[in-house]
Amino acid sequence: MNPLLEQFISESREALQGISEKLMQLESEPDSTLLMTELFRFVHTLKGNSGLFDFPELTRVLHAGEDLMDAVRDGQVAYSLQLADLLLDAMDFVGMLCDEIEISGTIDAGYAGDAQRLAQTLRQMIGVTSGDDGACPTTAASDPGQAEDTAHPLLLSKIPERIRMDAYQAAAGGTALHFLCYTPVQECFFQGDDPFFQSRQTPGILWGSIAARQPWPELSELDAYSCVLDFHMLSDAPVEELREYYRYVSDQLKIMPVSAQSLLLDPGDAARPEQAFVAAGPATQASAVVEADSHQQEIRVAARAIIAVQREILSLPDDVAWIVGRLQAVAASLEGCLRVTGPGDALAGLQAASQSAVARRSAAPLLAWFEEYAGATAAEISLERELPAAAADGGPPAQERRSATGSESAVFRAMPPDGEVKFGRRADDAYSAAKSIKVDQAKIDRLMNLIGEMVVAKNALPYLAGRAEAVYGVPEFSREIKAQYAVINRIAEEMQDSIMQVRMMPVSFVFQRFPRLVRDTSNKLGKEVNLLLEGEETEADKNIIESLGDPLVHIVRNSLDHGIELPEARIAAGKPAAGTLTIRASQEADRVVIEIRDDGKGIDPEVIKRKAYEKGIIDEDRLERISDQEAVNLVFASGFSTAETISDLSGRGVGMDVVKTAIEKVNGSVSLESEKGKGTLIRISLPLSMAVTNVMIIESNSQIFGVPMDAVVETVRVPRSQIKTIKKSMATVLRGRIVPLKALNSLLGVAAQPKANEEDELAVLVVSVGGEPLGILVDDFHETVDIILKPMLGVLTGLSAYAGSALLGDGSVLMVLNIKEVV
Amino acid sequence: MAIVYKKNSAVFSEIAGVEEAEALLEWLHSHPKGKIDLADCTHLHPANLQVMMAAKRSNYLPPSDAGLAEWVDSALKTV
Repeated sequence: MNPLLEQFISESREALQGISEKLMQLESEPDSTLLMTELFRFVHTLKGNSGLFDFPELTRVLHAGEDLMDAVRDGQVAYSLQLADLLLDAMDFVGMLCDEIEISGTIDAGYAGDAQRLAQTLRQMIGVTSGDDGACPTTAASDPGQAEDTAHPLLLSKIPERIRMDAYQAAAGGTALHFLCYTPVQECFFQGDDPFFQSRQTPGILWGSIAARQPWPELSELDAYSCVLDFHMLSDAPVEELREYYRYVSDQLKIMPVSAQSLLLDPGDAARPEQAFVAAGPATQASAVVEADSHQQEIRVAARAIIAVQREILSLPDDVAWIVGRLQAVAASLEGCLRVTGPGDALAGLQAASQSAVARRSAAPLLAWFEEYAGATAAEISLERELPAAAADGGPPAQERRSATGSESAVFRAMPPDGEVKFGRRADDAYSAAKSIKVDQAKIDRLMNLIGEMVVAKNALPYLAGRAEAVYGVPEFSREIKAQYAVINRIAEEMQDSIMQVRMMPVSFVFQRFPRLVRDTSNKLGKEVNLLLEGEETEADKNIIESLGDPLVHIVRNSLDHGIELPEARIAAGKPAAGTLTIRASQEADRVVIEIRDDGKGIDPEVIKRKAYEKGIIDEDRLERISDQEAVNLVFASGFSTAETISDLSGRGVGMDVVKTAIEKVNGSVSLESEKGKGTLIRISLPLSMAVTNVMIIESNSQIFGVPMDAVVETVRVPRSQIKTIKKSMATVLRGRIVPLKALNSLLGVAAQPKANEEDELAVLVVSVGGEPLGILVDDFHETVDIILKPMLGVLTGLSAYAGSALLGDGSVLMVLNIKEVV
Repeated sequence: MAIVYKKNSAVFSEIAGVEEAEALLEWLHSHPKGKIDLADCTHLHPANLQVMMAAKRSNYLPPSDAGLAEWVDSALKTV
């Protein structure tokens, strides 16, 4: 796979995540245009990116999605739950295609049908069932918003006569003109923008004006720093250049193409004949004809009509006082018509003829020119005049005109819609994103392993120092080695710390899937649930965070399925109809604590006890003695399920014990508190990082073992006389509490007895197992060390008594006990 | 100072920055008949412009900079 495609896949994943997040947020505030715009931007970017590759299925669905979002954003389609579902479906499909691309590099042609269907469903939401399903991302023929994309005559009418006529001549000469509406955001002044300066510097600017967006408030209530100005400009610069110039505010800018005809005479001018292009009375009649059409063919027809009218004017008697003005008006009209339609060389002839006509105060030279120019076609002219007249009345040609403008704007869009802008933005992104880099996890893992080795190698130095003193008898050298060790130790620890930081991830990584999960699940169950996420920024090691995902999903599903009641039941119980599910993450010392709390019906300890007894998880004896708190924690026992029926959500009896196992695998713990009728709280405690384990070294039968410090409560030496034997098992009393004792040798199946020291005291390592203290008899205690715990590999995997092994500084192997499994 | 406030007129010189707008607004408010002299103004931040628009001061001495004059004209003549 090429790097570009790789990046596309990874970016698409992010965008999809963003899309589903925004859709969730929109659910709570469906009127937020900001969210809608962001959502649109995500879909739009995704679609744009997909166009770089040959994945028509992908592009088709995204394009339909984009159109739908566009319609929603413009308020043509209302946002609804159904719409969100549809979009989510579409995005799931896109996600699936991305997977497919990642695995095989292509999309199976079998998906084409699905893509087509999805795209159609999406388009049906807009109410457009166009034959064009958008295979080509830049064809926007079915796009609804296009009517706005040509400049409205009202906007153009603000342009002063003089400038508009110059513009018209330029437009008629083939220069593409654009009308720009720049609407800066209100807070732009605070961002250091000067939209006026920006507008003044617009490339190719011909005209500009400033207008207020809303009526002015009283001076005393005016906020001088809230921008309420709109900037309107007319420019002859190419649209690409304009987009490039305004690329930072592209969302605040509207660029509309301006046709020559719309500049020439608009309804405003028709109403104000004194400002009309041709001042002479009869000519306005003809110019009304011009106004009504913009099609090239119709222009010619209309121009001929004007010419015919001029001829009629010329044939009027010459003996009036205003003959000169009349001749000049006719000449100007003809000149204008020729500019649009006729060959350029006819112009010179006309000018000569008009000059001589004015000089002679007679229409004859112009009429002569007419005969020469129009010649044989003169007869047809009067006939053709009828057609455009009909157009002026709003007949069928007006219809044509609309479609003509439509196709014009389609062409305008078919030019790279924002190709320039996009590339510009890309470059900027790369610049601003340079602070963070994406690194393959394998590289970080390698760093982690290397620093692990470094720690081990570093630990060899104290041994060396010891040998220098004991074996070679050079205590000074030993001291020097120790001094060097201190330096290396500091650096190694800092390095380890920073590498650990690199691996840290916020819990939001797992939290972000919950809004969708809760929404889908609660919809399916017909329940109303508010999800509250707190402490999403809490960080922990990547492995820890990743291991948290599945257990959390189980827990959340359980809470929704068994915990939170149906709305009716909740109201009957005097609770709000919508349940609340809170997921909170926080850091406590070197552990991350995740709490999942619901305000549902809670767990009835009696039911749990009975079920547990029925399933043989506890015996009759235990059933009598067990406390309510212990009882609710029985849900973590393997094979436990209280649900009468198995749903597709939970209740298969593999839920909570799997959760417990998964969490314990990363040295975490899970506990549950519940109050009947009030709700349930599940608390998961996880280490911040599992990379380095702090273990205590103990000795038994001349072998050393490691015990994770997490499990160690205390180390005591107990005189042999204080150890009592109760029913074959040993116990002692520690600070008024009975602590059962077990010898490590016998636990490991070693025949040797624990060794006592000179005062006949036995070394007891008190550990906590399942919350209960337990004394383990060992021979001796050694120091605690930080080790990189390597899990047991190969045939050793089956030895559950050991959590793993580690290398010590002197090169020996330390076996780390898994206390829970050993006892 | 790009805007010098005289007894009954505000005289702009060269470029009036965004920070002038607050004072200008106050002055316009307290001098309903105050005159505005933009003759020597080459550019003014739109914040200044919009307070003048809000104050509906269509009677002013236009900037000698023709380009600016047209813009200012469009903004102030129409209010």
